[in-house]
Amino acid sequence: MAGQGPSRRELLQALTLASAAAAFTGFGRWGYAFAENAAHHHDTPKSDPGPHTNYNPQFFTPSEYHSVDVLCALILPATTSLAHPEDGTKTYKTQPGAREAGVAEFIDFMVFSDPTLQETFRNGLQWMDSASAPASTFADLAAPQQDALLQRLAFAAKHRAEEKVGQEFFKLMRRYTVMGFYTTRIGLESLDYPGLTFYASSPGCTHHGNPEHVGI
Amino acid sequence: MDTYDVIVIGTGAGGGMTIKTLCEAGLKVCALNAGRELDPAKDFREHRMPYDMKFRGQDSPARQRQSVGYMDNEYVSSDVWEHDIAYSTAPGTRWTWPRCNGVGGKTNFWGRSAARMAEIDFKAASRDGFGVDWPVSYEEIAPYYTRVEQMIGVASTIQNRPSNPDGSYLPPINFRCMDYIIEAGAKKTGVPYLPDRMAQLTQAHNGHPACHFCGNCTEGCDVGAFFSSPYFFLPLARATGNLELRTNAIAREVLVDENGRAKGVAYVDRITRQEREVFAKTVVVAASCISTAQILLNSRSRHWPTGLGNSSGQLGRNLCDHLYGTSGYGYMPQLLGQPSFPDNVSSATIAWLPRWQNLDNPKQEKFIRGYSFYPGGGCDEFPSYYDDIEGYGASYKAEIKRRYPTPVSFTVQAPSQQSEKNFVDIDPDKKDIFGNPQVRIHFEWDDNTLRMWDHSKQVCEELFHNMGAVYQGHGDPESPGWSLHETGTCRMGNDPKHFVTNRFGQSHDVPNLYACDASVLLNCTDKTTTLSVLAFSLRTSEYIIQQLKSGTVTSKAPSAG
Repeated sequence: MAGQGPSRRELLQALTLASAAAAFTGFGRWGYAFAENAAHHHDTPKSDPGPHTNYNPQFFTPSEYHSVDVLCALILPATTSLAHPEDGTKTYKTQPGAREAGVAEFIDFMVFSDPTLQETFRNGLQWMDSASAPASTFADLAAPQQDALLQRLAFAAKHRAEEKVGQEFFKLMRRYTVMGFYTTRIGLESLDYPGLTFYASSPGCTHHGNPEHVGI
Repeated sequence: MDTYDVIVIGTGAGGGMTIKTLCEAGLKVCALNAGRELDPAKDFREHRMPYDMKFRGQDSPARQRQSVGYMDNEYVSSDVWEHDIAYSTAPGTRWTWPRCNGVGGKTNFWGRSAARMAEIDFKAASRDGFGVDWPVSYEEIAPYYTRVEQMIGVASTIQNRPSNPDGSYLPPINFRCMDYIIEAGAKKTGVPYLPDRMAQLTQAHNGHPACHFCGNCTEGCDVGAFFSSPYFFLPLARATGNLELRTNAIAREVLVDENGRAKGVAYVDRITRQEREVFAKTVVVAASCISTAQILLNSRSRHWPTGLGNSSGQLGRNLCDHLYGTSGYGYMPQLLGQPSFPDNVSSATIAWLPRWQNLDNPKQEKFIRGYSFYPGGGCDEFPSYYDDIEGYGASYKAEIKRRYPTPVSFTVQAPSQQSEKNFVDIDPDKKDIFGNPQVRIHFEWDDNTLRMWDHSKQVCEELFHNMGAVYQGHGDPESPGWSLHETGTCRMGNDPKHFVTNRFGQSHDVPNLYACDASVLLNCTDKTTTLSVLAFSLRTSEYIIQQLKSGTVTSKAPSAG
């Protein structure tokens, strides 16, 4: 069998780009630390969302970029959950979301790098703004109204026939938010991603006597 | 000008085995490889995370645009995959053709499934009346399989299945939760679910370290814990002092003497674009199925106007491939919300559904022969099911996490059958940038393969039901070429009128010319090809040694028996 594990391959296909980012100057919140001559790749990869610096969008206008950031934070928000669900203690932990992971920067970089995406994103953001009237932009809407609009775009049962453009844009925006988030350390930690760990022997199932895994 | 005993074109599974075997026998070997040597510490980045790379793992956009293979990405240096040698496809043909030109070829990144073929494969034509039998019996090739397994290390179990002869195995990779769930469903469905034959070292073997189960094998292994030619064969060949390896050497044609016998190889230096020649008593072509045919078809002379050793007219014909596709996908609700588990420690499959069709009666199904399935799923690097969930916000994020351990899918491995429509020839109008006439690929799936595909989708629906899993749908067949399991083009057989090579992979026409790759295999089966390429190459290599040492080079091979 050829090829990569299905998910890495699917991700790569999803990220297929059409243009070089020659003028790219680097990320602020989401930094990548790819070093062509890294000493040895068994080293712990050293990249992490660094402290927020002023990121200059490469493609979006400041207003568009703000809307992208707001949408990212609504699609995959920071959340809180019980820190120790098993022992019932009511201590909570915060799980960062797409904004904290710098996903808006990723989206800007990807759209900047791929001319085939640019018009779709620009038109989609304009559609969001016009659907937010009387507010001038989606970002200016109050939270309940933002939510009401996203509900109509996100759930098939609430779709409106005349809002096709918005539905398609939401789908695209969510796709890039997911891609951007789950390829960061924050995103992978939110899944407790178990890969790239070294084991002395292959880890196996421990549900002995319950092959069908009923009621585990 | 130096003269060698043998020139070997290619350093992958077949070439690597040949180089090692011949060098160890004391023969002077010149190996030609179309690309450079790889340095695992620099060229393989399998331990990087997506966020360590500029495009989260994607290759640079400029390279991506040129890419003809899906393997290009930032986890492997981008010049490892061929971008410069162009090829053509006939109108209507789709062909995905990732070619690794680095030393060791595709063995650097292969999927490692390594099942033996069986008598039911070699004598399939006698059973069902279609195609031709292989000119070897299982009994004859079995000892070579055993030696190969002992060389490379294959993890599996003894299974006693007629179409899957057992071999010499390391302990298997352990079953995960998903394996037990699938196994229980398979039992109810009446289909087998068993540990795959995986060329992945579950324990240290022949001086090679045990696998550390990081899970990104197909981006290259920096410790050599699965078989690849550069880790397992080439060091042994070098140690004999009998190997000269010429890299970035793109073979143009096999040169012939005044009697029409092979005398050497003309090649182009990839860097300088200079043409060079090298001479030897014997030439072995192991450039991979299609490239081997291209080199021989381009070796035209007054003796061989249609290509070297092509008196049968069969050179380049009978191209076969595996249809790959997702026959069913969905999720296992039993595992919703379960803790994350390292399901992908082998980056491919741990278990499989070996062929169960047409075993007792060759015409039991609506198709002949058989196919196999590889399962995939579990906690993976990317939640590719994200579009199956509606919504956004905290509930969306929580559902992505809840579903994380549950995805499951089955990839079918269905062999195409021998067909006059599927072949390669030389494009009369186009040359690549090195001045070599381009190979042109003609290929379409045959009806039998498509009937297997339909059958596999039905089986999957039933299997999902019996697993207690939610069936969500199926994919489409991948582009031909995707499996990298192409066979044919230089098929072996006893009759010189119908086969390019004899049953030792020796040209019927040109006795000092051999093919040592999947080009000599007659067709695809429900198994992968690499283990068979290794076994047949070992056998051919020992035959070459015998021929050279006895001094009687003849293509009158002793008949089978």
